[in-house]
Amino acid sequence: MNLQIQIDSKNNLSIVHLSGEIDVYTAPKLKEALLPLTKTHNGLVEVDLEKVSYMDSTGLGVFINALKLSTEHDCKLRLVNLQDRVLRLFQITGLHEIMDLNSTIRGVDE
Amino acid sequence: MDTKDLDARTYADLLSRYIETQDERALYGAEKISKSFIRKNILPEEIVNLHIQALLDIYPESRDQILPSMNFLLEAMISYGLAHQEYQMLREKQLEIKSEIQVAARMQKMLMQTEIPEIKGLDIGVISVPANQMNGDYHHFVKDKDGSISIAIADVIGKGVPAALAMSMIKYAMDSFPASRMSTSTILASLNRVVEQNVDPGMFITMFYAQYEPKTGKLHYSSAGHEPGFFFSKKKNRFIDIDAKGLVLGVNQNTTYSQSELLLEKEDMVILLTDGVTECQKDGKFIEREDIVEVIKKYMHLTSQEIVNRVYRHFERLQNFDLRDDFTLVIFKKVV
Amino acid sequence: MNSLSYVSIMKEWDIVAARQMGRELSKQIGFGTVDQARITTAISELARNIYLYAGEGQICFEAIKTLDQKGILIIAKDNGPGIKDLSQVMEDGYSTSGGLGAGLPGVRRLMDEFDIETEVGKGTKISTKKWVR
Repeated sequence: MNLQIQIDSKNNLSIVHLSGEIDVYTAPKLKEALLPLTKTHNGLVEVDLEKVSYMDSTGLGVFINALKLSTEHDCKLRLVNLQDRVLRLFQITGLHEIMDLNSTIRGVDE
Repeated sequence: MDTKDLDARTYADLLSRYIETQDERALYGAEKISKSFIRKNILPEEIVNLHIQALLDIYPESRDQILPSMNFLLEAMISYGLAHQEYQMLREKQLEIKSEIQVAARMQKMLMQTEIPEIKGLDIGVISVPANQMNGDYHHFVKDKDGSISIAIADVIGKGVPAALAMSMIKYAMDSFPASRMSTSTILASLNRVVEQNVDPGMFITMFYAQYEPKTGKLHYSSAGHEPGFFFSKKKNRFIDIDAKGLVLGVNQNTTYSQSELLLEKEDMVILLTDGVTECQKDGKFIEREDIVEVIKKYMHLTSQEIVNRVYRHFERLQNFDLRDDFTLVIFKKVV
Repeated sequence: MNSLSYVSIMKEWDIVAARQMGRELSKQIGFGTVDQARITTAISELARNIYLYAGEGQICFEAIKTLDQKGILIIAKDNGPGIKDLSQVMEDGYSTSGGLGAGLPGVRRLMDEFDIETEVGKGTKISTKKWVR
């Protein structure tokens, strides 16, 4: 039921570090922090889920929302360092095929 | 202020009696008057004041010793009085909200009713238990004229009335598609377009949709990001995952779905579920899918309805009768 | 004592001075022990808000009278940041400092009449009255 959010922004690149659980109680907080970032034209938003121990479908809904917005605004969205259970959720729902999910080192490629 | 004086008198009498006798009856009297104070919304600081007046009556010569410390207590009690009033207010608000949800839940139940159809050679069992008042899981059966059956199991992500409306969209869509004429993949694609256009950007639906033909024993199925079910083959005596891949409904307008087929032979079983089952916990850790299979193995010999009931009871007990998520389990066995 | 007086709130200690003056005046006006304590708690809450959020302000006291009643008027004013979301701040269950029960809804419960004017960037003025029963 606890979620810590830390955002590092520079120019068009934002890195969002999440720590804790994304569920029905914390999803609104994530939504408020993440969605505005995805409206950056030609931007890149990278979300680090290394310290996210649990996520349920409410959390997935926030990422779907973020995905839709980022596509609309020509912004790239990338999720990195997903834990097994969280990755599984993206795989079962088919989202891993349409989203950028990997474990590359942060902020290198741009 | 008649009742106030009466309370003060009663309190003082009870207090002096207790000081004198130290007997249990006086304490019981204290309990009763305390309950009547709460009913009358008398605040803690007023009770301390009653006590002060009573004490001054009983020990008038000790006025200087009693007063400072009791006045100190009175001050300390005021915050408790405020907190109590706030609790009352919040409780009332909560009851209001609860009854609103009750209305919505009753509506949902009425609109979403689905009967388990009688299909030749198929023993069907279903259980769907919401974690709260409104059920986010949805299941529906449609029996077609030619004897085949459509089965849908879905999990609507999103809450309350919008989620329930999404479910009714699915129900009415299913009721209007004649089962034999459209493939499961086409139906999911159609539903996906409807859902995508009509829900919030953060809402989505996972769904497993299947059609079973009793004449051939064939099960056609497609999945939109739904938790995989299980297939039990009697011949091989094995449970295997029903692996079907597809994107959840509501994300992309143009998503297409694939379709697969299973042949059911005598005593084969199909088990469908929602993630309310896989999200159960044991000793603080999430269960594995194998754990679900283990429990089903225990009750496999019973009728499908008995199996789903027992499996539910098992996990309900494991969660201390407090499920985190809506729990839906559908089992059908080919009996001939 | 004057019927109209005030205490400046600049240090935490000033909250105590405001409480003292409030209690004295309430006693003079004729409030009972419990109501004296309630008025003092309300003043304390208002003064603490000034101290914590505005940094500086005033608590003003006035003995008031109508044809058949006497009472006390407390005015808490500051030139601080003002209150952004007033409806949220006045809602039960919302609290920034202190736990359950405190805050402006608490002051409203302790007193009989309550009024608030606030403007973001300009300041806040809270007037509250209690009548002798």
